[in-house]
Amino acid sequence: MKKYNYFLTTCLSILFSIATAFAQDKVAKIALTFETVDSLHVCKAFVTSEGQPVVELPIKLSVKRLFTKLPIGDAVATDSTGVATFEFPNDIPSKDGKLTIFASIVEDENFMDTEVSGEVKWGQIVVSDNSNVDERSFSAGRDRAPIYFIAISLLIIGLIWGTLLYAVLQVFKIKRLGKLEEIKE
Amino acid sequence: MSENINKHETFTQAEYMVMKDDLLRPIEKVGKAGKIWIAFLVAVLLAGVVAYIIQETKSKYVTTSLRDYTMWGIYISNFLFMVAIGLVGVLMSAILKLTNFEWYRPLSRIAEVIAIGAIMFGGISIVVAMGRPDRLLNLLLHGRIQSPIIWDVIGITTDLTACIILLFIPLIPSLVTCKNHLKNLPKWQLKMYNMLSFGWQGTPEQWQILKKTMKTLTALVIPLGVLICTITAWLFATTLRAEWDSTNFGAYFVSNAFLLSVAVMTFATFVFRKAYNLEKYLTEMHFDKLGQAMVLMALIHGYFNINEYLIPAYKMSGLHENTLLNLFVGKEAGFYWSVVIFGIIVPFLLPLFPKMRKPLPLFIISIVVLIAGWFRLYLIVIPGLLHPYLPIQDVPASWTHYFPSAVEMTVVAATFAGVLLVVTLFSRYFPIISVWEVAEGELEGKEEIFNYK
Repeated sequence: MKKYNYFLTTCLSILFSIATAFAQDKVAKIALTFETVDSLHVCKAFVTSEGQPVVELPIKLSVKRLFTKLPIGDAVATDSTGVATFEFPNDIPSKDGKLTIFASIVEDENFMDTEVSGEVKWGQIVVSDNSNVDERSFSAGRDRAPIYFIAISLLIIGLIWGTLLYAVLQVFKIKRLGKLEEIKE
Repeated sequence: MSENINKHETFTQAEYMVMKDDLLRPIEKVGKAGKIWIAFLVAVLLAGVVAYIIQETKSKYVTTSLRDYTMWGIYISNFLFMVAIGLVGVLMSAILKLTNFEWYRPLSRIAEVIAIGAIMFGGISIVVAMGRPDRLLNLLLHGRIQSPIIWDVIGITTDLTACIILLFIPLIPSLVTCKNHLKNLPKWQLKMYNMLSFGWQGTPEQWQILKKTMKTLTALVIPLGVLICTITAWLFATTLRAEWDSTNFGAYFVSNAFLLSVAVMTFATFVFRKAYNLEKYLTEMHFDKLGQAMVLMALIHGYFNINEYLIPAYKMSGLHENTLLNLFVGKEAGFYWSVVIFGIIVPFLLPLFPKMRKPLPLFIISIVVLIAGWFRLYLIVIPGLLHPYLPIQDVPASWTHYFPSAVEMTVVAATFAGVLLVVTLFSRYFPIISVWEVAEGELEGKEEIFNYK
């Protein structure tokens, strides 16, 4: 019997995969709503399938950043009314205050992966103080190196290379003196 | 030291001729062993060139073991080693010369040639380590003057130029000696001597210019050599890694470089003495002095080593704990303590005994010190990189450790072959010991050399 174990396990795995695939065929719809109560941002995801609310379905919330999405806490399961409620932090930075928030179903046993997004003005506007960008400093770019540093650097480089040039010229002076000596002889 | 070692003799014109013959002989005759040695070095160098071509034409992820964390591998630790032994010219030629230690005379040219070879191949090691060597020029065109990397590039090119000029100027009278006394050489070689001797006649004015220029350059290469060693240390000290977070790094690197310089000088002196039968000029006195210098340098480096490791270990802050425990009792402990024993304790203790300052024992000690010195720099670069501030997580296993690939090892071997080839070829075409400097040191009537053509 043992030699058939592998075969049976493979068959069962295939059957399980087929069953799971069919089970995941269910489509769920998510409707996102945003509200602010007493300066607390609340995001609600209402999940329905075939017109009925879906209960106990984990929903993940994330917010769009420059390259990827930043997850907001752990997944929250929908309640008896099909609503997953999230408290949204009020310190997510944003250029103009606008944030794109995503609610998604990921790798659920019964429902296909779904994602919806909505835009809301909950971001903390970042005010950059760029007044010192043009200042000369060690940390600045090559065009903004401190003047005294450039001057000292050029002075050191100039002195050293000047000395090297002087040494090379002395070699030619030796040659000139040698020629004079030849003429004398 | 025995009395006969220190004696200074006044010798005759005939004796001077013997000295010339002795010191010029290696140029006239290249033995079979010499040819095989050169062929071997060329073969290793070419293998390195092929390995580098493979590295640049195939994916570096496959050809090297360099990864996200160990972005600097043995190429950079080898660069540090080359920069360190490049200081040999400063110590053995410049410092001894300016402080009137007469025993430098037969060693100065050997030291300068090693320095040139080491700095040259140190620079090549950086280019080899570059991910995009085609952007090398951008370093100069678009680099920031505030960055230690730019200063390293400026320092290395300047020091190399200064060392070449400093090697060449005292060589001028020697080239005339070669031209006048070596007749059985190919025509091109004699022509080369003639051309490079720049019309040298040995007039008092010419000697005056030569000596004045030599003195100026000698004074210049000391700060330059110390500068490139220190800036190289700053490359590390200004990078955010716990092991490199040190204000002691510049001095630590310079002291290490001086110790390695003495070791490499001992090694080269022994080899030249044996290979070219120069026992009369590279005497036991030189080994005695080099042994004493080795003790002093090991003591100084040991002092900086204690500052570098003991004080952070006493505090054992969270920042340093990770990397220090790894070195003291962790994965690298065997490695670290071997380097301390063979790289600091051995060169400090053994040459204290006069018997150990004889040529052969000191030669063996110098080899041990050089190997330990290479690995000391390896231990600064690789474990330093593998212990970043943030823990290493969610990366492939190959990123968490480093062992150099065959390509990397071949390229590094080629840089060593390159330095040895520069030194060997130089000694085949030019007198490796400066005839006039040695004679000047030993001869009381200097006029005899000045007027000799």
